[in-house]
Amino acid sequence: MNENLHERAQRLLAESVVEGLRPADETWLREHLAECLECGHGAAATQKALRALRAVPVNVPQDLAARTQLRVRLRAQETSTAASGSFWLWVVTAASWLLGVFSAPLVWRGFAWLGANFGLPKLAIEMGFVLWWAVPALVAVAAVIHQRSLSTGTKGI
Amino acid sequence: MSAPAFTLTAAPRPLLFAGFMTDDTHALAIGLRQRDPDLLDRLIEQYQQRLYRYLLFLTGNPSLAEDLFQETWIRVLERGNQYNGKSKFESWLFAIARNLVIDASRRKRISSLEDLGDPESNTPYDPPDERAGSVLQLMLSRENEQSVQLSLLKIPPYYREVLLLRFSEELGLEEIAAVLTAPISTVKSRLYRGLAALKTVMTEGAA
Repeated sequence: MNENLHERAQRLLAESVVEGLRPADETWLREHLAECLECGHGAAATQKALRALRAVPVNVPQDLAARTQLRVRLRAQETSTAASGSFWLWVVTAASWLLGVFSAPLVWRGFAWLGANFGLPKLAIEMGFVLWWAVPALVAVAAVIHQRSLSTGTKGI
Repeated sequence: MSAPAFTLTAAPRPLLFAGFMTDDTHALAIGLRQRDPDLLDRLIEQYQQRLYRYLLFLTGNPSLAEDLFQETWIRVLERGNQYNGKSKFESWLFAIARNLVIDASRRKRISSLEDLGDPESNTPYDPPDERAGSVLQLMLSRENEQSVQLSLLKIPPYYREVLLLRFSEELGLEEIAAVLTAPISTVKSRLYRGLAALKTVMTEGAA
């Protein structure tokens, strides 16, 4: 038999299990395998290997599922608590920023009055204004970041 | 003399996965987004055999496979909102597990996994060491065709992986591509090479 026919059969055999075959190719392969002992044996070996692959049995360690379920539930509780704490931190942060923005004109006037009455230098008034406005919000942001780093640390345990 | 009777076995499931959202996957996506603990319990039960087998065959190390099994489910919990229900859940699950295996191999330099993602690197493959192989053998059922299972351990992990996903987990080509985050052409090429490699090691084993 022509060597190319065997090669074609081998190629189609692989294609049949990986991608599937067109009907014409499938018919040709069937006929070839019925005639050719060598290719027929090769095909049978491939099918045997695939059958065994499909049925590879593995003994899952006892309690692995139960241990995993417990760990997942504990983790879910942790993340749920962290998420609720983080929600309130974000609320406080947002409130702090909003208060800062909307109270800025009033605070500016207050600092201007202090400067006028106590003769403070302009730079000190400006610095005081900036700190008054930014510090609460920055503290809230720092708290959020700190809480996040704590929850990341817990995750690694 | 005629050849032995042979029946062509077509691919067990549709070859290409058409991306659609079924009611089941949609419900699953919602449950995962809500971190439904009962749903997670059921999924862990349902997929324990398949996921553990996949991890065990990738790592060749039962204890590492156990750790990664648990880590995989923690990731499922934490990243459940990333599952959109448009693909099969197992593809997403195996992709998570695979990434954890790659991370673990980077940290611990597991010899059998060094080139999991790079079969074209031309690095010669060293089969897993005998100790790992023997531990794995103990984990495998004795009744089954051990020669095939042992042959599997002798082929490079990037081929072993696609063979398992295709013929053991019965994933479609597109689903495997999603797990590997590789093009379908790469999946096909690895499957062809993997089949050839499996044939070779089985022939050598039989000789």
